[in-house]
Amino acid sequence: MLETDAISMSRRRFLKKSGWLAAGVTVVTALSYPLIRSAIPALPTRNDPLPEDGFAWVQALSDGHIRFFCPRMEMGQGSPLGLCQIVAEELNLSQSEIECVLPDTNQVPHFKMTVGSEGIAKYFEPVSFGAAQLREKLRSIAAKKAGLPREKVEDSLGGFLLPLGRQIGYGALVPSEPLVLFADDYPSSRKALPRYALLRRDKYQAIGQSWKHHELEAIVTGQTVYARDVSLPDMMFGQVLQPPTFGSLIKSVDVRAAEALAGVLEVVINKEKNFIGIVADSPLVLPEAIGAINVHWEISEELNQDQLDASLDVDEFRARDEFEHILASDGDIGAGKLRSQNAVAARYDTSFAAHAAIEPRSGLAWVRKNKVEIWCGSQDPFFVQQRVAKAIDRRVDDVIVHSHRMGGGFGGRIVCQASEEAAILSAATGRPVRVQWDRETEFQNNYFQPSFSHHINAGVTDEGTISHWQHDFVSSPILTGLVPPAIGWVLDKVMADEGTARGSLPQYQMTNRQVRYSDIRTPIPIGAWRGLGSAPNTFAIESMMDELASKSGIDPLKFRLQNLPSTSERLAAVLHRVAEISGWGRHSPKNTGYGIACSVYKNVTAVAIVAKVHIDHDASELQVNKIWCVQDSGLVINPDQVKNQIMGNIVWGCSMALKERITFEAGAVEQRNFHTYEILRHGESPEIIITLINPTNAQSTAVGEAAFAPVAPAIANAVFAATGKRVRRLPMNFDNVFSNSGS
Amino acid sequence: MNIEINGKPISVSKDFEDATLLDFIRDFAGLKGTKFGCGMGLCGACTVHIDDVAARSCQVLVEEVGDQSVTTIEGLAMADPAGSFHPVQQAWIEESVPQCGYCQPGQIMTAAAFLNRNPNPSNKEIKQAMNGNLCRCGTYERIRKAVARAAREGKINARN
Repeated sequence: MLETDAISMSRRRFLKKSGWLAAGVTVVTALSYPLIRSAIPALPTRNDPLPEDGFAWVQALSDGHIRFFCPRMEMGQGSPLGLCQIVAEELNLSQSEIECVLPDTNQVPHFKMTVGSEGIAKYFEPVSFGAAQLREKLRSIAAKKAGLPREKVEDSLGGFLLPLGRQIGYGALVPSEPLVLFADDYPSSRKALPRYALLRRDKYQAIGQSWKHHELEAIVTGQTVYARDVSLPDMMFGQVLQPPTFGSLIKSVDVRAAEALAGVLEVVINKEKNFIGIVADSPLVLPEAIGAINVHWEISEELNQDQLDASLDVDEFRARDEFEHILASDGDIGAGKLRSQNAVAARYDTSFAAHAAIEPRSGLAWVRKNKVEIWCGSQDPFFVQQRVAKAIDRRVDDVIVHSHRMGGGFGGRIVCQASEEAAILSAATGRPVRVQWDRETEFQNNYFQPSFSHHINAGVTDEGTISHWQHDFVSSPILTGLVPPAIGWVLDKVMADEGTARGSLPQYQMTNRQVRYSDIRTPIPIGAWRGLGSAPNTFAIESMMDELASKSGIDPLKFRLQNLPSTSERLAAVLHRVAEISGWGRHSPKNTGYGIACSVYKNVTAVAIVAKVHIDHDASELQVNKIWCVQDSGLVINPDQVKNQIMGNIVWGCSMALKERITFEAGAVEQRNFHTYEILRHGESPEIIITLINPTNAQSTAVGEAAFAPVAPAIANAVFAATGKRVRRLPMNFDNVFSNSGS
Repeated sequence: MNIEINGKPISVSKDFEDATLLDFIRDFAGLKGTKFGCGMGLCGACTVHIDDVAARSCQVLVEEVGDQSVTTIEGLAMADPAGSFHPVQQAWIEESVPQCGYCQPGQIMTAAAFLNRNPNPSNKEIKQAMNGNLCRCGTYERIRKAVARAAREGKINARN
């Protein structure tokens, strides 16, 4: 063994703290690969919250406000608002009494990166627990102050009601410093604590209301401060020369011309880190200065799309009968085939995709002797903190990250590379430095959703049940996409990427099924993108379900319902309801079709979609006119926010189905801006009808990415209904649907 | 050289004369409500009004503005002395349009100029008018409703 025990221990503690034990990194640790030792530390923050974590997030202030250090970052998904409503429910507050703060990294302990549509689902409990504890502590203070037993101190809006109608506000119970609770002081009181967010189901005051977002007025008047809007006095402006292809290395560089330009303060070169950056006293100087750098790159990667497609080609893997992971293997496929009356074998493909949030990332860094400050918008500020510390060789605790509302996240802001660049430039010059990526840099230098290729071979018995289901697919690791390659190659030996596999097990009853996949690492940087594997996998499954129904002559809604297990009532309920609101089964005019699809996101949120598609042959257009969606995400904290999220998911799904495709040529991304990477525009966006189902006593489940997955297959199935043509490759458009191949 | 932004003349320093209006508004005038999205006039996040007409400030140079008046999202409400919000902003609040909100100042500026020109638009006209403004969060349906609401509530009267 090369490692000392001390090193193992500290790494083990670290891994535990950041949640990577659960992801199987322990296996790697035990193997003691010496090469990964220095590479391990900077990893995304993965630990789920404990109920006691809520103590650190809720404080009572002497002015009567409750301050909520929100442990979820805001990127438009609105979970901070929903969590405020939970705080309000426990503490009997009106919205104006809550001060919602996105905390700095030194204000609260580590919290998990904001991902996976779990803002409400996983934070309901700790937020409610912390807020309820604070309420009861305030009640004790009020009782003591009034010389009454606690039972005589009743709830009231923003405080308590004492006998004889006397009101006492929370502010009067907090002398000067904010009142903060510590978990250690409340070791065993969890059971006895009344939790209004759980108990008041029939008479909620804040939960279930469509509160408007506390930043709404600031947004519409242009007052909201996104990371790109932050500035400091004496701030300098930086830009980093980005490599022309993935993995290019600086061979030689001449920066004399850049240094000679007026306004250029410094050219920072670190060949070891493959880094060349400019610091200037005006942002206007930067483009010319970057252009004046004379650099010879050693191009290591000239990969193109054909090579990528070949390495992720499911047919190749099938020919070798060689898949890394078996997700399910039940019954006997061969026996099932014998019972099949109508069999279909088909291949489905989805493309690489970019996040394309409208705010390109930006970071402002001020590196001083004893303090490093970063202003940025990231889904994981504690990961940014670690990465910045590593980039400038400082202690993690020296770095403070100030978080801002993000101009879109979608999984694309787990890291903030611009902050790391700004930190390196600030460290070199001692000045605050702002680095703003432009759109081209954003497209070229972030990580991507990988392409997926699927092959499904399935059949239907003469009773209309599924005789067999063999599903093989190939893509790249997503959850571990961001770990350094040296660790990645090792991780892949011992674990299957759950993100890539998300949503790949069908909800339907199948006696004979096999689901296999390979997650292949390529030189393309891969990371989380809305819903991870759920949409590509659902596209394959729900397209095949439609093909099977059609081949068997069964209505696609009926075929789905009759193959759901009896335990899937919530999925059956959303299917029934979407059929009702969309008028499923009606006659459609020529060139118009309706398609249906469904999924259960992360096995918790049931969604059914019906899409109406019209083919306009004169205009050569494939139009998605209308989408109906029914979602069961359990208890709804804020119906208006949930509907807004569903709407966003539907538009995202249309965009995936009709528009988005990243391609690579000569080791670089071919798309540089919105004219070549098109996302759905206003004129193409459908009318949207949404119904929420909220079963009694159901807990809140995932929303932010849930409704997205079934959208593309519903559209593809509608195209089939309208034209008889199957769409098996996304994105689709009029030309590729009506070309000879038809898919 | 001076240009007028939100009713105030601002003197332009020499180095900003050939800058884009967007860079000038954000980094010189310090008005951060106008956003950078693409730098190519493709997304509409940087939309402002130049003499009441919607324009992409990333595609206009400061020296091209001349004696026309520029209005940004921060100055939009000033056109309506009655309230702190322009009727389009008010409609955006009523419909709770934004998600991340980053594109919304540009959307609002496009909508306000459009309604000024066409106070009673059809749904189809709204879609066409707003087609140049991208929203990655997918708030298009609420944008349509908010524009229709602002038109319906009739507070916008065509000037000129």
